[in-house]
Amino acid sequence: MKHSHNTDLARRAFLRRGALMGVAGSAAPWALNLSMLGDAAAATNPGDYKALVCIFLYGGNDYGNTLVPVDNTHYNQYAAIRTGIATAQASLGATALTPSIALPNGLQYALAPEMGPLKTLWDAGKVAVQLNVGPLIQPTTLAQYTAKSVPLPPKLFSHNDQQSTWQSDLPEGARSGWGGRIGDLMLSGNAGSVFTCISVTGNAVFLSGQSAVQYQLSTNGAVAVRGIGSSLYGSAAAQAALRTLITPTRAHLFEDEYTRVTRRSIDAEGQVTSALAALPTLATPFTATNSLANQLKMVARLIAARTSLGPSRQVFMVSLGGFDLHDFLPDNHPGLLTNVADAMKSFYDATVELGVADKVTAFTASDFGRTLSSNGDGSDHGWGSHHFVMGGAVNGRRYYGTAPAVAVGGPDDVGQGRLLPSTSVDQYGATLATWLGVSATNLSMVVPNIGNFATRNMGFV
Amino acid sequence: MEILDDTVAPTTAPTTAQTVAPMTTATATSAVLSAAALAACGGGNETAPPEAFLNLAAATPARHILGVNAVEAGAPATPLPTPAELMDWAERTYPDLFPGHKPDLIWSPYIYRYYPETRNYVGVAGSEVYILGPVAGDVLKLVGVLADFAPQVLIHRYAFSDIEASRFLAQATLGVTDADIAAVRSLGYDAWLTQQFAAPLSASNWDWLLGKGIGADVTLRNANTGVDGQIWQRLLSAPDSLRQRVTLALSEIFVVGLDGITGTWKQFKLAGWWDLLANGAFGTYRDLLEAISLNPAMGLYLNMAGNQKEDAATGRVPDENYAREVMQLFSIGVLQLNADGTPVLNNQGVAVEAYTQDTVTQLARVFTGWNLNVPRGDQTPAPMRQPMVLNAALHSNLPASFLGTTIAANTNGLTAFHTALDTLANHPNVGPFLASQLIQKLVTSNPSAAYVGRVAAKFNDNGAGVRGDLSAVVRAVLTDVDARGAAGFTDPKFGKLREPMLRFIQWARSFKATSLSTDWTVGNTTDPATRLGQSPLRSPSVFNYFRPGYVPAGTTMAAQALLAPEFQLANESSVAGYLNYMQTALGNTHVDVRANYSAELALATDANALIDRLDKLLCAQQLQASTRATIVTAINSISAATDTGKANRVYAAVLLVMACPDYLVQK
Repeated sequence: MKHSHNTDLARRAFLRRGALMGVAGSAAPWALNLSMLGDAAAATNPGDYKALVCIFLYGGNDYGNTLVPVDNTHYNQYAAIRTGIATAQASLGATALTPSIALPNGLQYALAPEMGPLKTLWDAGKVAVQLNVGPLIQPTTLAQYTAKSVPLPPKLFSHNDQQSTWQSDLPEGARSGWGGRIGDLMLSGNAGSVFTCISVTGNAVFLSGQSAVQYQLSTNGAVAVRGIGSSLYGSAAAQAALRTLITPTRAHLFEDEYTRVTRRSIDAEGQVTSALAALPTLATPFTATNSLANQLKMVARLIAARTSLGPSRQVFMVSLGGFDLHDFLPDNHPGLLTNVADAMKSFYDATVELGVADKVTAFTASDFGRTLSSNGDGSDHGWGSHHFVMGGAVNGRRYYGTAPAVAVGGPDDVGQGRLLPSTSVDQYGATLATWLGVSATNLSMVVPNIGNFATRNMGFV
Repeated sequence: MEILDDTVAPTTAPTTAQTVAPMTTATATSAVLSAAALAACGGGNETAPPEAFLNLAAATPARHILGVNAVEAGAPATPLPTPAELMDWAERTYPDLFPGHKPDLIWSPYIYRYYPETRNYVGVAGSEVYILGPVAGDVLKLVGVLADFAPQVLIHRYAFSDIEASRFLAQATLGVTDADIAAVRSLGYDAWLTQQFAAPLSASNWDWLLGKGIGADVTLRNANTGVDGQIWQRLLSAPDSLRQRVTLALSEIFVVGLDGITGTWKQFKLAGWWDLLANGAFGTYRDLLEAISLNPAMGLYLNMAGNQKEDAATGRVPDENYAREVMQLFSIGVLQLNADGTPVLNNQGVAVEAYTQDTVTQLARVFTGWNLNVPRGDQTPAPMRQPMVLNAALHSNLPASFLGTTIAANTNGLTAFHTALDTLANHPNVGPFLASQLIQKLVTSNPSAAYVGRVAAKFNDNGAGVRGDLSAVVRAVLTDVDARGAAGFTDPKFGKLREPMLRFIQWARSFKATSLSTDWTVGNTTDPATRLGQSPLRSPSVFNYFRPGYVPAGTTMAAQALLAPEFQLANESSVAGYLNYMQTALGNTHVDVRANYSAELALATDANALIDRLDKLLCAQQLQASTRATIVTAINSISAATDTGKANRVYAAVLLVMACPDYLVQK
């Protein structure tokens, strides 16, 4: 049952991917498309394992208080703008970052004071910072933005649409995400495994591909349907009937999709549960009250179970919400960043414990950055932001991209310190996808606007 | 529409069989000419039809042509369509035969219409319906009497079966009961809705909390006591079921969630919020918009409370959150819309956005200076539902230009606020924006543009010149031909996934659940792995548990560009978590909320009768034959010899119905 399901998925993956490339390559001969498939398949081999982990910060993380200018000149600019929400300079000493290559103009940053655990990993060269990254269709100057003379991502500054744009390249309603599209390319090497793209948070477009599906489980693992596992209200017949009723294929599209999810739930649950049960306990501590840590712990356990679950290339997604801090930024942001740094450090340590630190790369993402301006006790929706990349394969203790001016009305500012991104999400995603094994030819299938950018590998991993 | 065989004898057969010559082209042409001539000289609608049309006695019975059966002898009297309603239906149902909308023409004994494109006639003489033209082989045909057509022509006005009544009630209420079905069948939809709109408002959530003594105990002001109970009691037991269903839908458009509100007495803030939506559910949109904008829970949720004007000295700017979300989510949406809800496209085919960042920045100035009205030293919950008040000293005096409106510098803050809300409420987007969302919440995830357009038109004008009459909008949503028509039962894209909390509420109401403690301790049901993945008034953000524009990526639905909002909650964990939660709840092992299955237990020995009942109450008799057979076989295998056995039969039957896809997708 499970085997035939996987075979079917692989076959579908093959066919759909062929169709997709047929479209992408328009007149390209079928043989060339087959060679592209071979290229994708060659990315994986059984002795080898790699995984990407997307850590999504829902609500739009405030970049200004995450990576704070700490040298006197730039700190003073920062503090002058952020009335009522600036972090005290004196509290930033312990988390001031010393990069291997200094930034221009004497600019120095410190992590938020609560992010000490991430500072440890930075110092060890396991964390890099991508500066001012956000959705772009092509390189865009402030003058082009103002004149609307180049295509811009639609529905900027809107939460749901920019979450979707970060995850998929399109606003709400997108039909696949770039994590899922990476999954499409890895499916054949993974024998079509349903465990190629795994979410430990809710549904999100990021992990759905053309063929690769998002498989979702909870921080406690896969959820079993109790009524099909033992007699239902004392009746074995009712138990059997329940299984029959929740798994049929249907002509109605909604019914059919619901039962498809249910079948996948039932098929995968046994495999996940037994694979996890066979694992030794992780020695690395994860903070039990930290939701993000619990999710990342489950990712670590799934990676530990990779041999029994099968796939050699995986994309995971976890998330933390609460970042939309129009109010109470000084009160609530530190706690969120504490959880982010704590969970990321535990996760990195767990990959070391499992011997896969250089096989797993985690990265942060968020709806958008926020304004540098203060509204009194918070900040408003923005665009570009700074993000973290973490793992043993990361070329860490370095900044990538271009640091924005610390200014309102500066050369990167589209209003109140909303950053015009200088690096695109496509470039960020292309770098990560390339590391996982996506070939240069296939990059545009993952991040469709990458062809508009000269730099397709930022070099951070 | 299925064309039926003409096997049923007409109620009025011609007394003598006569052969009538087919209408000649010449005759038809002269009819057209005479009609045109009469119209041209202002002769009104008195137009002579062709002679063949007038020879009623010669008509051949041909019921199959328009696909109706004769009403059964002894069937209860049903309302009859008017000739115009019948002919409108014919135009809608058979556009190839009766294209376009033609005027009523009168020629005794007929009221009729003529379609020159197809040369067809349709007419009503007395109670009989006739057609002529190529559709009828150019021979006058008697296609039935008005009563035969009533179940199809009046399908959006009356329930002609329990199935239709149950389906309507599933869209309109929180759970179907026998009494509701009887009422809808006897009154028809319009009269039932009118009765519901006029029905007294059920007791408020606020008073329920006070009745529990929660407001009197000041130590509870920082506790969550009653946070969930106050809303579950209303949803699970309040008698004004239409109003509560619409309120639930509104609470998922105008969203406030527990996690985003701050300060004391959160249970009262949420109770006041629900009461506000329930009170305003059948009022006008403009009134509702003002009420929600000034409500303390919303003020805290979207940060209008305490929002201050700009400060040039420090560079501080107004908080933009409410200005943005009131546009994006509560009024106009991000795209410019046509009257039928489709996006306006520019000359490159790209959707045009409804506002810019600058619009947000300017509108944000209007929403400065407001805050909760809490008298110093007042520790009671009373201020938690008082509208916010304006402190002029904190209100921005800058001018503000947005959406074609300009508010001059130094305008009084209250005037500016009213002008802003008037601007939003009068924006042409509001009708289609709200119409499509209400249709999605109550009826179907992918309404036709025409359906959205019809409902939006009622928003724009309720027929009495009132804009934004929400009761007229609700009526339009629920009595639309798309909502009521039989096509939705078989269209593989029609309907919606029932949202998990509605399934639970429907269970409780269908089986008359009560709370042993009277506290309705259902609690927080948001954990998808163990509960419903959703809980009223606990949305994780102002974007609700699911978005109206959600497309389940990588599915057949996505490939067909279909929206499926509720699928945002459907994943491998939640489908299992729902079944497990319901297994416990409906087996009456919940600590507090228990069903009364007496009507079902009385049928427990007869599996077919039991399933008939559940099929009717829970899913408008939409169980497929194979589903029914599977359930009946399973139920029959459980011994009904003991009370325990009977109870297990009922529990298993209810769970199996509520687990199957036939139920889960409301058609």
